[in-house]
Amino acid sequence: MEDIRDDWAAQVAQAWTVSPFATELSALSEAQLDSLHQYLASGPALPFRYLSIHGPSKDRRLSEEALVAELCQLAGWADGIVMHPDTIEEPDLYRDLGRKLLIENMDSRKELGRTQDELAPTFAELPEAGFCFDVAHAWSMAPDMSVASELLDAFGDRLRHLHVSSLSVDLHHVPLTEEHEELFGPLLQRCLDVPWILEAPPRPN
Amino acid sequence: MDRGRESPLEQLGASSGRDFPNLLSARERTASGLEARRSRLAELAHDGDTSVVLMGSWGRAEVTAGSDDDFMVLVDGAERDEVEPPIEAVKTVLDQAPGDQGVFGEPVFCDNLVENVGLDSDDNKNLTRRMLLILESVPATAGDVYAAARERVLRRYLDESIKDFRPPRFLLNDTVRYWRTICVDFAGKEQAGPEKWGLRNAKLRTSRKVLFAGGLLPIFECVNLERGAMFDVLNARFDMPPTDRIAQAFIDHEASDPGARALGAYDEFLGLLDDENFRRELRDVTRATADESKAFAEVRRLGADLEAGLLGLLFETEPLSKLVRDYAIF
Repeated sequence: MEDIRDDWAAQVAQAWTVSPFATELSALSEAQLDSLHQYLASGPALPFRYLSIHGPSKDRRLSEEALVAELCQLAGWADGIVMHPDTIEEPDLYRDLGRKLLIENMDSRKELGRTQDELAPTFAELPEAGFCFDVAHAWSMAPDMSVASELLDAFGDRLRHLHVSSLSVDLHHVPLTEEHEELFGPLLQRCLDVPWILEAPPRPN
Repeated sequence: MDRGRESPLEQLGASSGRDFPNLLSARERTASGLEARRSRLAELAHDGDTSVVLMGSWGRAEVTAGSDDDFMVLVDGAERDEVEPPIEAVKTVLDQAPGDQGVFGEPVFCDNLVENVGLDSDDNKNLTRRMLLILESVPATAGDVYAAARERVLRRYLDESIKDFRPPRFLLNDTVRYWRTICVDFAGKEQAGPEKWGLRNAKLRTSRKVLFAGGLLPIFECVNLERGAMFDVLNARFDMPPTDRIAQAFIDHEASDPGARALGAYDEFLGLLDDENFRRELRDVTRATADESKAFAEVRRLGADLEAGLLGLLFETEPLSKLVRDYAIF
């Protein structure tokens, strides 16, 4: 996706070739928010039944208040706004997003938001927030999938969507491997009612 | 606790760690209300082939503060002029009998339900009466008459056409037909006027969907059965509230988490429905005002969660996905 990172129409077209059901538009860098806003405000006809937006996790310049205000506007066009818990400094501000706010579990590189115990305080402060379960992040914490299982046990009633992929040795998202498909299978079976967002292109046949 | 004595809904709650407080308290309210009504209705003179049957939220064991006492006077026999108890006598006994009894404003004769399936004589009323008797009813008097009549109706569908280890297509087709009839009638009623649009739409997204799924899933379960065993299994399933039939299917297909989310959403809807202010707002919602209504936004959200769970069950678990493909479309 690197070559079309700021071309939202191209991203949508590419996502459509994978599934007309659900997609996520990622503005991982704060600098991308403006162009995403402009794109969505132009009223594009989108085929998806479910659309989420991944909020920024890097290059932050806006005040948190201004960022949430922008996310609230974007939420008008989306079913969910995904945020990394370690980027949230003042949880109260995010309550304006209500049920559209989705908190994602983090990978082992991070120091917060990785496990049930680390996520519980965030959800306690944001009782309406949903859970975005990143199965590969959970695997990075415990390859026996015990952390993944605990996360679903604890926050399954909040589950709104999944991030599905494998991870490279440096913990970047890569296509789901056959080995991980089998390993993750029982966990994914617990999530068959919510949209699955592929965080890397599908594995070539 | 002996799990065998718990309802499928309670078992689903135990396996997923989720409570269904509104559904379970509605069941208690239904049981106590039913007991009170049964003792009062038993004082009415009854013909030997007649049963007073409660419908709607009573049949789903989902009675809330705003529930009507929808009922039918069911006769396990042929059409005749005089029936005891008369409709008006039953109305005087029930607390919340609706003024307009709609398709139940006259006695329902089982012979019509059994003999008029399909073709012109099986009009909208007859179809509705037959399907609600199977899917969403509970006897208030003469349980033996009710059971015999429902058995006749069910056996009408389980005729010589059914096959071992195949869903009974005749019953499946009529169940799908009934669901689609409700959907089409919704549009017809909207054309007639905007009154009650919000409530009708909310029901279509929630309780009507539960009713349909609660019929569909036991029918698909017949794929595990020889034809001679189908009646007993279907009859036992239709003795359960629809939410138990659905909970059982989620458990059987090892999809407890999605089941808990789906029925959790329905539980939340039922809790909201128990609130008079919520019901009032919903009653006043029209298509034109729906986008501004907080109550309707909640219905949309909860209806979507319920549907997502049911679709996950039907399309992402085996053998249901194959059965839906093979039987539910054509």
